[in-house]
Amino acid sequence: MSAVRTIARQPLGRAALAVLALVALLAAAGGRLAPLDPLAQDPAHLLQGPGGAHLLGTDYLGRDVLSRLLAGTGPSVLAALEAVGAAMLLGVLPGLASVRFAPALAWASLRAVDALMTLPFTLFAIAAVGVLGNGLHQAMLALGVLLAPLFFRVTRAAALGLDRAQYVEAAELMGGGRVYVLRAHVWRKVLPTVAVTTAHALATSLLTVASLTFLGIGVQPPAPTWGGMLASDLGFLSQQPWAPALPAALIMLTVGALNLLADTVRDADPADGPALDTPASNHPADTPKEQADARRPAHA
Amino acid sequence: MSATALRTVAGPRTRRAPVGRLARRAARAPRSVARVLAGTATVFLLSSLLTFALGAVSDANPAAAVLGETATPADIARLDHEFGLDRPLPEQFGSWLAHALGGDLGRSWFTTVPVSDSIAAALPVDLSIAGLALLFAVLLGAAAGIGAAAGNGGRLDRAVTAVCTVLGTLPAFVLAIALITVVAVQLRLLPSGGYVPFGRDPAQWLRFATLPALALSLDAAAGIARQLRTSLVGALRENYATGAVMRGLPPRRVLFGHVLRNAAGPAVTVLGMSVPMLIGGAVVTERIFNLPGIAQLSLRAAEQHDVPVIQGTLLVTVAVVLVANLAVDAGLLALNPAARKARSAGAVRR
Repeated sequence: MSAVRTIARQPLGRAALAVLALVALLAAAGGRLAPLDPLAQDPAHLLQGPGGAHLLGTDYLGRDVLSRLLAGTGPSVLAALEAVGAAMLLGVLPGLASVRFAPALAWASLRAVDALMTLPFTLFAIAAVGVLGNGLHQAMLALGVLLAPLFFRVTRAAALGLDRAQYVEAAELMGGGRVYVLRAHVWRKVLPTVAVTTAHALATSLLTVASLTFLGIGVQPPAPTWGGMLASDLGFLSQQPWAPALPAALIMLTVGALNLLADTVRDADPADGPALDTPASNHPADTPKEQADARRPAHA
Repeated sequence: MSATALRTVAGPRTRRAPVGRLARRAARAPRSVARVLAGTATVFLLSSLLTFALGAVSDANPAAAVLGETATPADIARLDHEFGLDRPLPEQFGSWLAHALGGDLGRSWFTTVPVSDSIAAALPVDLSIAGLALLFAVLLGAAAGIGAAAGNGGRLDRAVTAVCTVLGTLPAFVLAIALITVVAVQLRLLPSGGYVPFGRDPAQWLRFATLPALALSLDAAAGIARQLRTSLVGALRENYATGAVMRGLPPRRVLFGHVLRNAAGPAVTVLGMSVPMLIGGAVVTERIFNLPGIAQLSLRAAEQHDVPVIQGTLLVTVAVVLVANLAVDAGLLALNPAARKARSAGAVRR
């Protein structure tokens, strides 16, 4: 909780938290907040501008844009969370373990990570959907697999720096077991780095989800999603040139808030934790490449 | 002086005959080059294994899908044999990879068109547009980054930082839609979609390729600008830069002649990292601008569960990305010999 307080102390962090809380609220209760049925078509009012009965206007089938935006938040956010959850599961624990348990495995896992990093997100997700069946879960699992290297590298780089820190060595000398040392001394120092990566990864996967739903992958057409709304607006640019701005603004706001949050956590008061850019240690991380990886942003 | 003595003096130099600076460095560091190539080969092997595994875990029954509902079990078994699906998986992987390395990626289950032919038709579209996007990214990113660093803390610096931050939050396809709305629909300057091959009419190609390339490039340009600004500002504070200023060199000469070369390394790395992004982002860009590229091919194959086409497109994409990574490594080597030492030292524990 102290981390949240640290972030909330800075105005930018507070703004990011407020936006994210709002998005979380929309994701949890969006469908119920919608003033109208997001699927109901109103043939008398096609492609209307904002105002009147439809607060943000209607789309090409006369469906209420505001209701669709609200109802579309849930699936998009949930899918992104799913991908990041899978990535953390696959990346963080092996990243920690590769430092302290199996140095022999480290080479193999780093090669595997290199291989995963060459695959472009969207194309791989499409391939996974093509092979495993059309569903957002399949696509998100694929995305999670591709995001896992990010967590693996970041966790490994941070933990490597700590591995030879004096207090870790002291704890080992006093007879602390490997699991105990990991949990009590390493994990808490790695956590902020993982938090920064999580925010970046969430932003990346939100963008990928938007791309996939834009292409019609993972959702059945009438169900609203941010990306799907952009896709249907694209056909009516000459009538409603401003229409894509609404879902785009929601995507931008959420992704921007996540990036801002990551920056705030990274710049957080060093008294509350280690300097996050360089793993706290009197030894440098063992290779320049891994050091660079720790600072590397998520690529889209 | 005898002829033998002359030869021993001139010998080493004439025998090596390096073509250029890069070749000379490569000749001096055969081990690090070999290590990079071995690493790339391993990564390619693992990626191809992953690509193949994706098809292997599929529960799609191609024979039943191709033949329809009236197929008899005998027909299905015959077609399974034809596709090679009745052989053990390791054997399937071995023959698939061996054929793939020879340029044969199998045939589509549905159209029976060789996958390599479809990809050969689609890949130039992506490569030419990604190439143009890279050019845009380098030009825009370098101009913005250098401008921001030169006017450190000034209005231009703040503007560049703000624009880069906004661009980082925008998905490529939102940019594409915005560009279409403004440039194609409102101003009617460029077409909103379609494609003409470069070989047929370069001028027309440029008309069609500019908007997609611009939409793809802006994100990478923002990354390059940010990275270049940071490292330039850092390098300008170094002693040798201060020394150059104190010797009375004009600031422009210090920036371009002394600092830029040293500070460009991280930006080149960012450029290399943006290549998978350019190809991944191209999926949506291709759909928006209606380009007959490799992502459209993959998307259509995904709708049909056409596994050979899916595997082929993925494998070719991985190869393109790996080649781009090698090119970036070579670029870093050419830019800064010190990077070679750092990289080969780093490779030991990798």
